Amino acid sequence: MTVVTVEVGDRPLRQINREIRALASTATEIVVTDPLSRHNLAVALTEDTPVRILGNVGYYCGGLNSGGVIHVEGDCGWGVGEAMARGKITIDGYAGMSVGASMRGGLIHIKGSAGPRCGVAQKGGDIVVEGNIGYLSGFMAHTGRIITLGDAGDATGDSLWEGAVWVAGDIKSLGVDSHPVEPPAEEVAEVEELLDGLGLADSTRDWKKVVSGQRLWYFESRDSSAWLMI
Amino acid sequence: MADDLSINDSPNGLSHEDLVALRDGAVDGRPAGIPTSYDHGESIRWTPKDIADIHAMSRLGRYQIRGFTTANRRMANWNDLVFVPATATRLPLEGYRESCDTKTVLGDRPGLVSNPIELDIPIYIASMSFGALSASAKAALGRGASKVGTMTCSGEGGMLPEEREASKTMVYQMTPSRYGLDLEHLRQADGIEIVIGQGAKPGTGGLLLGMKISDRVARMRSLPVGVDQRSTVRHPDFLGADDLLIKIEELREATDYRIPIFVKLGATRPRFDVAMAAKVADVIVLDGAEGGTGASPELLLDHTGIPTMTAIPAAREALEESGMSGEVKLVAAGGIRNGTDAAKALALGADAVMIGTAALMALGCNSPRYLEDYQKIGTSPGKCHHCHTGRCPVGITTQDPFLETRLHVDPAADRVARYLTAMTMEITMLAKACGKSSVHNLEMEDLRALSLDSSALTGVKLAGVDRPFTW
Ligand SMILES: Cc1cc2nc3c(=O)[nH]c(=O)nc-3n(C[C@H](O)[C@H](O)[C@H](O)COP(=O)(O)O)c2cc1C
Ligand code: SF4
Repeated sequence: MTVVTVEVGDRPLRQINREIRALASTATEIVVTDPLSRHNLAVALTEDTPVRILGNVGYYCGGLNSGGVIHVEGDCGWGVGEAMARGKITIDGYAGMSVGASMRGGLIHIKGSAGPRCGVAQKGGDIVVEGNIGYLSGFMAHTGRIITLGDAGDATGDSLWEGAVWVAGDIKSLGVDSHPVEPPAEEVAEVEELLDGLGLADSTRDWKKVVSGQRLWYFESRDSSAWLMI
Repeated sequence: MADDLSINDSPNGLSHEDLVALRDGAVDGRPAGIPTSYDHGESIRWTPKDIADIHAMSRLGRYQIRGFTTANRRMANWNDLVFVPATATRLPLEGYRESCDTKTVLGDRPGLVSNPIELDIPIYIASMSFGALSASAKAALGRGASKVGTMTCSGEGGMLPEEREASKTMVYQMTPSRYGLDLEHLRQADGIEIVIGQGAKPGTGGLLLGMKISDRVARMRSLPVGVDQRSTVRHPDFLGADDLLIKIEELREATDYRIPIFVKLGATRPRFDVAMAAKVADVIVLDGAEGGTGASPELLLDHTGIPTMTAIPAAREALEESGMSGEVKLVAAGGIRNGTDAAKALALGADAVMIGTAALMALGCNSPRYLEDYQKIGTSPGKCHHCHTGRCPVGITTQDPFLETRLHVDPAADRVARYLTAMTMEITMLAKACGKSSVHNLEMEDLRALSLDSSALTGVKLAGVDRPFTW
């Protein structure tokens, strides 16, 4: 076990990330102290060495990761795990806007609530939010699952492609061209299995799965009124 | 004119849709909604095109879509500017003998990026996505550009392996849609271009119709096969200038401050937009209203943005005012047809130019071959603007495997290389006549305007009176 510490404070970001990247191939755990809500911490990681960040982080923490196991013991700003291809990010607190924007794979687990546009343009992987998700969550999500154990805000699932927003609580309002369906049992089982792995098992949840109505997928002259929705 | 309204989708009997399309009483060859079906009347307001547009909209229930470039005839014209070469008070260089430097460096802001991009010529191939273009067209552009020491740019559809392999130098584009955005691809790139907008449709996201969303395109963009893809225009995880700065820092971290960051803007308010972008980017790409596209709502092509020629001086002034001239490089694009246009863009203040449509023409766009296939989509060589249909008769803007075989990669790459060489010769010929030993020394003083408009719009001195037209 080699646990190493990287101090953030007001040191240059470039140095901090370089240290994290270099240590990721040798240490068994990296503890990042004093993060001071700095932006762009632990971005573009490729090694799966656990990185534990003791405090709040700013924008794009874990962004562009293709690997990496990040645990933030605090809150995070916008775009946590944006464009992530692989890996896992856990946020103990709350998350700002655009959680997992355009992510392609891996798992983001928010223990608190997430801000607006959670899972915007998602292209794979899973986002699990224990609290609520904000307005326009799932906007134009291509594939993947956005799962909230709480409530979803306004315009949920707006303009979805093949992504899906799973809501255990209430949906304040639906976005353009989206509607809730009752999910098939095997899909529910898959979601519950994922949640079980995070210690969040509960078979009594009443899932709503918000998917695309596919009316905006095609320019359809004979249904031109559909275009007045947007 | 855009959508394929000449195609009769239910030829037998008159359905409701036939009647909506005004087919009753119509004769073959004059379908409603196409300007050539109408005769010119007396009114300059109700032209055949205006009448046809209304018939088309009343059939389609939406705006029309097409590729290519603007049809707005009021766009300021490069031909309104001429060079005033050296005579008695300036010394020309020998046009056929002396050399003129064409080397172009982008992203050399002091102390920031370790590998600026060095090009042998001041011209490169604009971002045109795989999806809009066939894979063969992308490969041919890459090979052609590499032969003459210049580069290509991926475009919206992600990094195509064929292009990366063919292009010695390649910029990777990060559009708001982020199709296929990947750390590995970022790290394979020689530069990253963040798209804020483009000249053909500033303020609106990319468009790729279902005919072109083949299996491979769909996979690269994580889309269902065959959907009409309309991309977002706002990025998913930043809004304003402050956030953009943080986003750029992330990209620099991910690529270890190795490669330059470009920001691409559609030309609308260049004085303000360029001043903002200069604070964060290494290279600013300014795409004028004439900028080409694979597909766009027609109204945006024709009625949004300002002409390239007018945007460049404003952008240069913004760089001067913010003290970034020379540090942040300015690339201009939109409607550049040849070395003469390119030289004028450099003289107006660009550090390099980018060509899209012209490069497609070097590949063979609008060439007079396979005439029956032009006819099938209601057009002919010289007036084709049908990239949006995916039925490109010469295999460039298509995903149809059969049509794609008409683009022969190696010969097409040679045409691109020779065209870029010829363009560069044209630029150096003009530069030498103006007494410049580097194409980058061309300046506004080397130009004169032939019309009041072009002088007023660019600040170039009016021919003869030798003063810019001001008010
Ligand atoms: C077929 C085609 C596809 C294009 N695809 C993209 C794209 O994916 N992303 C982008 O930023 N611009 C795209 N553009 C715009 C070009 O990058 C460039 O700005 C424009 O073509 C310059 O104008 P020009 O065609 O008059 O040279 C495309 C242009 C064409 C003609
Ligand atoms: S020939 Fe092909 S590339 Fe050229 S305008 Fe027509 S469809 Fe577009």
